[in-house]
Amino acid sequence: MVTNSRQTPFERIEYVIILSALLLMVVVTLQPILHLVAVSFSDPARVPTMSGLRIVPEGFSLKVWNLLIHNAAVQRGFVNAVFITFVGTAINIVATTLMAWALAQKRLPGRKYILVFVLVTIVFDPGIVPDFFVMRDVGLLNSYWSVILYRGVFAWYLIILIRLFEEVPYELLEAAELDGANPFQTLWYVIVPVAKSSIAMIGLFYLVLHWNEFFRAMIYLNDPNKWPLQVVLRQFVVEGDKLSMVGVSDMSTYSDAGQISIRALKAGMITLTIAPLVLIYPLILKFFTKGTMSGAVKG
Amino acid sequence: MSTISEHKKISQYGNVPNLVQDGLVERWVRSAKRWWPFYLMLAPGIIYFFVYHYMPIWEARIAFEQLRIIPPNVWVGLQHFAALASSPIFLQVLLNTVIISVMKLVFVFPVPIIVALLLNEVRTPGYRKIVQSVIYLPHYLSWVVIGGITIAVLSPTDGAVNDIISWMGFQPVPFMTDAGSIRWVVVFSEMWRSAGWDSLLYFAAIIGINPELYEAAEIDGAGRWQKIRHVTIPSIAPTIATLFILNVGLFFSTGLDQILNLTNPVIRSQIDIVDTYVYRIGLQTGQFELATAAGLLKGFVGMVLIVAAHLASKRLTGKGIW
Repeated sequence: MVTNSRQTPFERIEYVIILSALLLMVVVTLQPILHLVAVSFSDPARVPTMSGLRIVPEGFSLKVWNLLIHNAAVQRGFVNAVFITFVGTAINIVATTLMAWALAQKRLPGRKYILVFVLVTIVFDPGIVPDFFVMRDVGLLNSYWSVILYRGVFAWYLIILIRLFEEVPYELLEAAELDGANPFQTLWYVIVPVAKSSIAMIGLFYLVLHWNEFFRAMIYLNDPNKWPLQVVLRQFVVEGDKLSMVGVSDMSTYSDAGQISIRALKAGMITLTIAPLVLIYPLILKFFTKGTMSGAVKG
Repeated sequence: MSTISEHKKISQYGNVPNLVQDGLVERWVRSAKRWWPFYLMLAPGIIYFFVYHYMPIWEARIAFEQLRIIPPNVWVGLQHFAALASSPIFLQVLLNTVIISVMKLVFVFPVPIIVALLLNEVRTPGYRKIVQSVIYLPHYLSWVVIGGITIAVLSPTDGAVNDIISWMGFQPVPFMTDAGSIRWVVVFSEMWRSAGWDSLLYFAAIIGINPELYEAAEIDGAGRWQKIRHVTIPSIAPTIATLFILNVGLFFSTGLDQILNLTNPVIRSQIDIVDTYVYRIGLQTGQFELATAAGLLKGFVGMVLIVAAHLASKRLTGKGIW
């Protein structure tokens, strides 16, 4: 800061270039997203000639959104995704917290072996086909549970949580024990309140993982009625299957829905899939900056 | 924790532990009594890891077998691996995986370091915060979404990139169906997604640097670039080394979700990687044994790489990957 006053003109230009480079990055990150939002709100008749650079809608219309919101596949996809995400995250948080608390007991007999048991799964992945066979053998094919329970305990998050739990001051645990608390009560009344924000952060990560998961849902859920939003989106955007979105009758009658360009529908669909994430994104940022800041202070 | 306090209790009554000569069984029962709640807590997680990670390892034996409708399957040893080694398609897939991974290491890996260095130069915390909150976002988008965005941005008729290209007076390029550019699409979409987020780790390392180092450098008359070169980069070198090694360790395991959402029949041969190959021949065309063999091969190479990476990182920086 002191140097500001005696900056040379050359240094000032340098600084402007640095700020501009970062600004460019912001633009490159945001423009494609804003463009799709703009397309989804534009007048469908003007979408086909719209430049890819525009981030303001041309005209204004809710036709695309109207169609999407009333589309049965989209509605089901949304409900499925919400169901999978919330049930999955709840299970993740409970199972990971319990396991981390048990493994944070340095004197637990067999702790070392269990840690190795977990680490092996990080290191070795036998691939998708054996996984498919297991799902078939345990009868989870075409069941929501094949997707919900996937990453039931994510090894990396487990390790993070174990390290955090190990740092809980010993005095707190001793006090709880003197009060006659059993390990479950200690976890619930001492550990969880102390590590609340870390558990919430890991919960948010799990939430994002579930919301974004498409591969498992794609290979394990044969019934399109069980597809989460990501798979519906993929079917439509990547595979270019407009029929599944609009329906045969609208396509052939050239009604309103048939007339909306596929580009506008895709844009709306992508925006819809991103929207919930954008809503929780501020929370993620809050937890995250806190986490890295404390990490930095320690490191 | 309970062990320690019980020792305390015992010691209150004098020095007695040696009087209790327990047999193995008694000790085992005592330990079980003390620890069972914790084993109960471990149970859901252990069952999960067993079913989702260990049962597949057992199932992977079909890589060495010939599946039969009526069991048992026939053991064929390394026959499927031999078939892979002599399959031109698999060798092409292997080559693609190596090419794409190397491209990502060379072109994507350094970007977050540069971003972190630039962020550290910003003297207005407000501006820096805004930039950071924007550039972290793509990390949280799924590859389905990023695939959709990429296809839209690169569209030859109405994509932003081709709008700029035409505006400059050149012919639009159909990036998504052009064999020459599709690998670059993979590289740049990866960069779009991760350059911002990955800078977080480096940035955290930079703000952890002792400010006195900068003050000393300033007294020596160091300018911005000299400070970056002689203070910042050496200080974050361990972080860079660890992440580079980790990236090498994950060499073969990047990109299934990405490729699946960027690929199409026209350019598939350019970006078909081991993971997509396993998925296609295994789950789509039902060559289970061959696909399992390919997946297992990848698993083994991946294991060797990541363990080597862990050891290398531990030796170099004292910090392992886990």
